[in-house]
Amino acid sequence: MLQIKKIFFFIFLIPIVAFSQEKITLSGTVYDNSNNETLIGVSIFFSEINAGTSTNEYGFYSITIPKGTYKIQISSLGFNTISETIVLLAKTTKDFKLMEFSENLDEIIIEADIEKLNVRTPQMSVNRLSVATIKQIPVVLGEADIIKSLILLPGVTSAGEGASGFNVRGGAADQNLILLDEAIVFNSSHLFGFFSIFNPDVIKDVKLYKGGIPARFGGRLSSVLDIYQKEGNSKEFNLTGGIGLVSSRLLAEGPIEKEKSSFLIGGRASYAHLFLPLFDNDNKAYFYDVNTKINYRFNDRNNLFLSTYFGKDIFGISDNFVNKYGNNVVNLRWNHLFSNKIFSNLSLIYSDYFYGLILDFVGFEWDSGITNLNFKYDFKHYINEKFKLSYGINNIYIKFNPGEIIPNREDSGIVSEKLIDKYANEFAAYIEAEHEVNDKLTLQYGVRLSNFLRLGQDELNVYVNDQPVLYNRQFKKYEAAEAIAVENLKRSDIISNFANFEPRFSLSYLLNENESIKASYNRMAQYLHLLSNTSSPTPLDVWTPSGRYIKPQLLDQYAIGYFKSIKNGKYSFETEAFYKDIQNRIDYINGANLIANNEIETVILNGQSRAYGLEVLFKKNEGDFKGWLAYTLSKSEQQTLGRNTNEPGINQGEWYNTPFDKTHDISINGSYELNKKWKLNANFLFQTGQPTNYPVGQYEVQGLNIPIFDDNRRNADRLPAYHRLDVSATLTPKKNENRKWQAEWVFGLYNLYGRMNAASINFRENRETSRNEAIQTSIFGLVPSVTYNFKF
Amino acid sequence: MKKIFLFPALLLFIFTNCEKVVDIEVPSTTPKLIIDAVFEVYFTETPIRVNTVVKLSKSADYFDEAIPAVTNAVVFITNLSDNSIIYFSDANGVGNYIPISTFIPVENVVYELTIVYENNTYKGTASRVKSTPLTSVIQGDKTLFSGNETELKVAFTDDGTEENFYLFDFSNKLFLTIEDRFFNGSEYNFSYFYGEDDIKLPTTVSVKMSGVSKEFYTYYRVLIDQSGQNSGGPFETVPSSLLGNMINTSYESKFPLGYFHISETDSISLNLIEKN
Repeated sequence: MLQIKKIFFFIFLIPIVAFSQEKITLSGTVYDNSNNETLIGVSIFFSEINAGTSTNEYGFYSITIPKGTYKIQISSLGFNTISETIVLLAKTTKDFKLMEFSENLDEIIIEADIEKLNVRTPQMSVNRLSVATIKQIPVVLGEADIIKSLILLPGVTSAGEGASGFNVRGGAADQNLILLDEAIVFNSSHLFGFFSIFNPDVIKDVKLYKGGIPARFGGRLSSVLDIYQKEGNSKEFNLTGGIGLVSSRLLAEGPIEKEKSSFLIGGRASYAHLFLPLFDNDNKAYFYDVNTKINYRFNDRNNLFLSTYFGKDIFGISDNFVNKYGNNVVNLRWNHLFSNKIFSNLSLIYSDYFYGLILDFVGFEWDSGITNLNFKYDFKHYINEKFKLSYGINNIYIKFNPGEIIPNREDSGIVSEKLIDKYANEFAAYIEAEHEVNDKLTLQYGVRLSNFLRLGQDELNVYVNDQPVLYNRQFKKYEAAEAIAVENLKRSDIISNFANFEPRFSLSYLLNENESIKASYNRMAQYLHLLSNTSSPTPLDVWTPSGRYIKPQLLDQYAIGYFKSIKNGKYSFETEAFYKDIQNRIDYINGANLIANNEIETVILNGQSRAYGLEVLFKKNEGDFKGWLAYTLSKSEQQTLGRNTNEPGINQGEWYNTPFDKTHDISINGSYELNKKWKLNANFLFQTGQPTNYPVGQYEVQGLNIPIFDDNRRNADRLPAYHRLDVSATLTPKKNENRKWQAEWVFGLYNLYGRMNAASINFRENRETSRNEAIQTSIFGLVPSVTYNFKF
Repeated sequence: MKKIFLFPALLLFIFTNCEKVVDIEVPSTTPKLIIDAVFEVYFTETPIRVNTVVKLSKSADYFDEAIPAVTNAVVFITNLSDNSIIYFSDANGVGNYIPISTFIPVENVVYELTIVYENNTYKGTASRVKSTPLTSVIQGDKTLFSGNETELKVAFTDDGTEENFYLFDFSNKLFLTIEDRFFNGSEYNFSYFYGEDDIKLPTTVSVKMSGVSKEFYTYYRVLIDQSGQNSGGPFETVPSSLLGNMINTSYESKFPLGYFHISETDSISLNLIEKN
């Protein structure tokens, strides 16, 4: 603790030293003039003194500078830059309204610049995607999709079509912190991974942190996907929508009290019987999601937001089999300015994820889920133009329902059983400084202190020597130990208490106006684990907390990068190298059953993982032709050693590939504005085939033909390489001009050359010929699509 | 019970439409002895009928067409209560060893299976696992995914005094493992569905229900998985080696594969009729 105090003291000391000249503060909010939507990342620049700032997630900016008269520039690509002379003699509040630059009607274009490279800021390993880009990227069946678009960025891969989640820099899918308006989202996919749960019409800003993660984020190791929803147009009512092959969307937004409060309600639903038109019986498979938001601006200092998300997938096959799952999020936030230098946001968030099944043919219902209550209080203190401080606290109370089985009819014979609920509390406090040391060197440094309490529960198993897994030397396999006792604990008892000190550090050193070098280090702790023994997560997977038998995952990541802006930002080049090391990454014993397992600790082995790689991103940011080329060379491995010399661990204790190890990952995205009417877009993707296991032999037992897998070469084989080319064309009819109803058509061809990419290769006996076969399963060949988007 | 949580089944269904056979070069390994000794005691029949075949073979490369039988082994069972020995012989020379005298495993006795082959001795033990009779097996008219499945309604009464594990054999190499965790002591009924490709109606099927040990249940669950009956898609679990309960007492590292198990089994034959 002494060490921590020292650091706190050190951090607080710096701004005090810096106070000397007579200075005043200019602050305010920047809006989009057309709809009063606050704008994120707008630059406010004072050229005389070469100082500036940018707006935060809520459109707020603040800068403290010496008294004087300045020419200031407020700019954001896609908007007309405001240049004005401003006399600053006393503390001033000033809001700006930016006018759209082009007559192009898609208002989201304004955000195009957010993808542009910022050479100066120490924040590295971050990618932003504008909703405009996401909407143009050709995707399967024309459903604009945030997560599928992320795959085109360097360092981001997925297990392919129909696989949920994504992998960042060789990390597992459960290591991504997905935030929707600051609320934690536990499952990001619809239809088992074909689509993601984010309605692109409602989204305002998407940012992916892959490294150098700021101290205000914690709880997941690999990345932060920070998504903000729109607030709603507080000027006038309007409708946005789209009709696609898979789903239709409609978004209504407008003022409640003009320029003061606004509402937004957006819905998206897929058509029933999706994917199942071939069968005439009573099958259904569909999803929907509803986003709502109410925003009330009391005054310049106080702003209240209430937002919700409800999403669900429903999947039924006659009455025999019904599957429902989804997320709910309710979120109340209060922005308050303590002074024009201190911005604060208080959030109260409830979010949950549930998974339910009705299996009539075996006579039961199954329900499981996770619920959490999240309290956050974040401050940003704009101390002066060279020094900003962020600090805050965060407390999350989590309840885990691993599952409950209930008879669904009187004659079912099923006896209800409740798997034991688990409880935990995660607390964190952080402080972080953004510090411009001189014209060349900018630092960002901070620390997060996290504490995780595994709270008391019923029936906590006790094992001999605290070892829930035993190694059977005779039969050469790991086995579950039998519990010798159970403890029943009060909810207020603490089963385990973990505390971690998570330092974060990044720097940027400007070589010249257009070139910089950045470096970062971050330590993160993750206390929750997604139990998944498959190559990509499934909706059925259950989250489990750290505790007596499962330790928190700990990461150290180091990254260094070179950034160059070419021809005044027309092109940019960035390259980063990273190394990360993760302790306490779990793996499973052979034949582990993770489903409805009340003693999950008896199938888990503790290991470690590491990943390293090189990312290159070259972009063209302006002109009729825009796009990027991304290349990643990386390695992601895992090791699970035996606990003593008599045990082999997994893969004989040697390092093995994680299921998401992709050596090469190339993606190219290009868009070309042919004329006012037509816009073309294409992307190409190449990924090394996913690690897999091929059998080393076969044998026969009870008439079944069984492949032999070698435990010494786990994940040593690979599926064929994954690649495909997609194209799309956006048609904006001319008659859009000067009328309220504005529309566009998006025509897409996914997987243009019809590559049958392998989702898996399975080995089995052909029942007719009795010969063994390798069967490759592919999901999408060439898929055409058309989507109609409108707004009025 | 696991496979009943088969939510990815529908995805599988979509996938199967995009499947093709591919040429894959697979690695090779030294052959292992395979011991397939799953004994069944038909306890509801009089006189009691038994299946006590020990099938010996060797493993082969994955795409080899033939699996070599092992015909020159010495096979015997020792009753560990009285140390009596019953020898088995491979009368037809195809690797199927049957007892040379009447052998009906009795309850509460540990039997040891010994196999001597190529100067290696392999041993494993098993004792008869209790089961319960099937109450009924009838054809139903519900379907599952495609609308073309054939429903089989199975009912039995579980013994509430102990943890039970069951293995069902629905003919045509179709197996299902279940545990009584969620229906301990109940009159339990469930539906099993034959896929279109599994059977051609009308036909006669034999449904066998065996009481099995917890270890064998775990083993068989993975075995069914690995046989490819339920595999496919990105939701597949990481495959791993599957070791049974037989060990090589001569060279520990040259371990065999397969299992020695004795179950009580009940069997019902059923004529499945064509649906209209």
